[in-house]
Amino acid sequence: MTSPQNSAPPVEKHGMGLADYSFIGFLIFVVVLVILVGTIDYKAALKTEQVKSNGEALTAWLTEAGLKRFDADSPHEACKGGVKPTADAKSGDPVAGTWGPCFAYIMTKTELKELSNPFFNTPPKQIAQCLTSDRTAMGAFVLENLVATPAGSAIPFVISPLSDVTAIDTKLLLRMSVCDKGGYAIKISEFDF
Amino acid sequence: MSNQDKSFLKDFNIQSILHHDEVANISSDLPMRKWLYSWLLDPNIPGNYLKGIDKWISYLIVANLFALMFEHVPAVYEPYKQSFHLFDIFSVAVFSIEFVMRFYLAPEDEEFKSRKNARWGFLSSPFAIIDLLAILPFYLQAFIPVDLRILRLLRLLRILKLFRVLIPAFAEFKELNKGRTFRQKVHALVYTSAYGGTIHNIFEVFINVWVLISVTAVVLESVNSIDYIFHLQFVILDTVAVAIFTVEYVMRIYSSVEEPGFKGAVSGRLKQAKTPSTVIDLLAILPFFLEVFLHHLFDLRFLRIFRLARLLKLARGSDASAVMFKVIAREWPVLVAATFIMFLLVILTASLGYLFEHEAQPEKFENIPTAIYWAVITLASVGYGDISPVTPVGRAVTVVLSLVGIGIFAIPAALLASSFSDELVKKRELLKANIFDILKDGHMSDEEANFIRSEAKRLHLTNAEINALLELVRKEHELEERNPLPIHKISENPALAVEHFKVLLGQIRQLGIQTDPTRFNAAAQENDRLSASEFDLWKKIQGKA
Repeated sequence: MTSPQNSAPPVEKHGMGLADYSFIGFLIFVVVLVILVGTIDYKAALKTEQVKSNGEALTAWLTEAGLKRFDADSPHEACKGGVKPTADAKSGDPVAGTWGPCFAYIMTKTELKELSNPFFNTPPKQIAQCLTSDRTAMGAFVLENLVATPAGSAIPFVISPLSDVTAIDTKLLLRMSVCDKGGYAIKISEFDF
Repeated sequence: MSNQDKSFLKDFNIQSILHHDEVANISSDLPMRKWLYSWLLDPNIPGNYLKGIDKWISYLIVANLFALMFEHVPAVYEPYKQSFHLFDIFSVAVFSIEFVMRFYLAPEDEEFKSRKNARWGFLSSPFAIIDLLAILPFYLQAFIPVDLRILRLLRLLRILKLFRVLIPAFAEFKELNKGRTFRQKVHALVYTSAYGGTIHNIFEVFINVWVLISVTAVVLESVNSIDYIFHLQFVILDTVAVAIFTVEYVMRIYSSVEEPGFKGAVSGRLKQAKTPSTVIDLLAILPFFLEVFLHHLFDLRFLRIFRLARLLKLARGSDASAVMFKVIAREWPVLVAATFIMFLLVILTASLGYLFEHEAQPEKFENIPTAIYWAVITLASVGYGDISPVTPVGRAVTVVLSLVGIGIFAIPAALLASSFSDELVKKRELLKANIFDILKDGHMSDEEANFIRSEAKRLHLTNAEINALLELVRKEHELEERNPLPIHKISENPALAVEHFKVLLGQIRQLGIQTDPTRFNAAAQENDRLSASEFDLWKKIQGKA
């Protein structure tokens, strides 16, 4: 048996071993994973940005149209102000002077017909409210009608969703929001229509 | 006492030991260029402006990066276009002055002075090329129409200026770790050790800066109006932060086996993974992966708030945090006892509150859990006032509860405060003992001075406090000189013990001669300060018995 004194001193390795290469490999894998996950996140964020710009475009259109829709020569017949909805409006079917035909007109006949919901690659739809439990809400518009309460009220506005049968014959104060990837509302703006 | 003893510690210059208020000693008789170089760029003169210049240039580079990032956000850039432009002009002016200064002073630089043409040597050096690339696009646009996007891209080159700090630090790291394994080098980079050098400090600052940036981003994300504008930037920032923290986490786990007490390829790393600081590191990155992979199953947006746990990463290098954890661990049993008493008191008073108030206010004191809320708010002296007693007995209970609450809630706070104070005293006592050991021979080596410097910095001691400690050591040294050996050493040698006894007897007799006997006797007998046998012994030694 060789005594410790006689044995050769242990050779200290300073080069790279298998464990070191494994570590570097794992490190590269982790970085690639983070980049991959980051890219997924970034793409989702880009879609949210597009949804926001959809909302901004609709807001801009409605704001501009809102300035002229009470004029006699208003170019957008379906969204014209001062047109009293017929009694049929109560039946639930959209009729002239209500929001339903106006929105359908905007999304089919104007330059906004090109808008697309990036989450589903379909034209954006309008819903009553954003719900985290409803995955189909992603990228949808939410328009709410803000009706001012009398002075002295505890709340300044009564807020109700702008539905297809809501009358648009008078000036409206609207709030535009869009639903993000998680189904949360992103407020765009409040404007007169 | 010898002359050497008399001068013990007298010649120590605390200013030079602690390097406080260090001012470069540069003669004003030097030629202008040499004088300027000595003040501004000479790395071998401590106390000149080089460190300050490097620091502020680094800050300006980082500020330029931020400016570049914000220029891509129209909502920020458009209203402040002019300010961005002015900042760019200011930056280029500073970088240009720096470049011209280095060019002018190149003949004084050790690196270039031996060259045939020192200034050309400087111009062809990699650092000068980097410096030039940082400013050249700005001047080029005045003569050549350059696309704004390309110009912005070229401005990114300014980040390369940071290599002026990084390259020397890397060279130092390489030198310190010569002959060491790859894992040891990774360990030296991420953990505090003697091999880390400047690059370890840069690594720590880099991580801490990213912690602050990412936490600020998390806080600002919660502001809808800011998130609306910067959402995309926040996503990019978070990805970069997670990438950095993930790499750091993996490096820490991989090299942890080099830490004492963490040996073993698997067991050592698992042990490291279970340490609080590494768990915090994991918490800092986990929400990012969970949210992306599991968001289809359920809403994990609440996990985002856990990104604020990154702030705890800053506690790693903090000595104060280490003291706090130590104090809490030490006082744990008492804290548990105080919490238990608090719990008992809350339940008891909530039950009493419910008993006396339920009938009078069934909607407020609806059940005991509601009464617990009232009890805690009252005990903690918060007193929101949303639930308050109306019956006389209920009010009496509240009075007692409020008074007891002050004491009960103060116990843990007082405990922690006194423990903190004790810990500080202990650390200072330890430093005193170390200084005593260091100065026993009346000399201080560079290594010992370094130790005192680092300890003084760690314990936030001022020059005056270190001086006070030195004074204490000086006095103790004098006392030790008088009693060179401790009692147990003296007792080992009977002859020495007899001599020591004679010295003590002599001192007692001397005391008897010098003190006023009447007043001494009165003081000794007052409140039986000396027992009868002790007083008899005193009289015997004085020869009066």
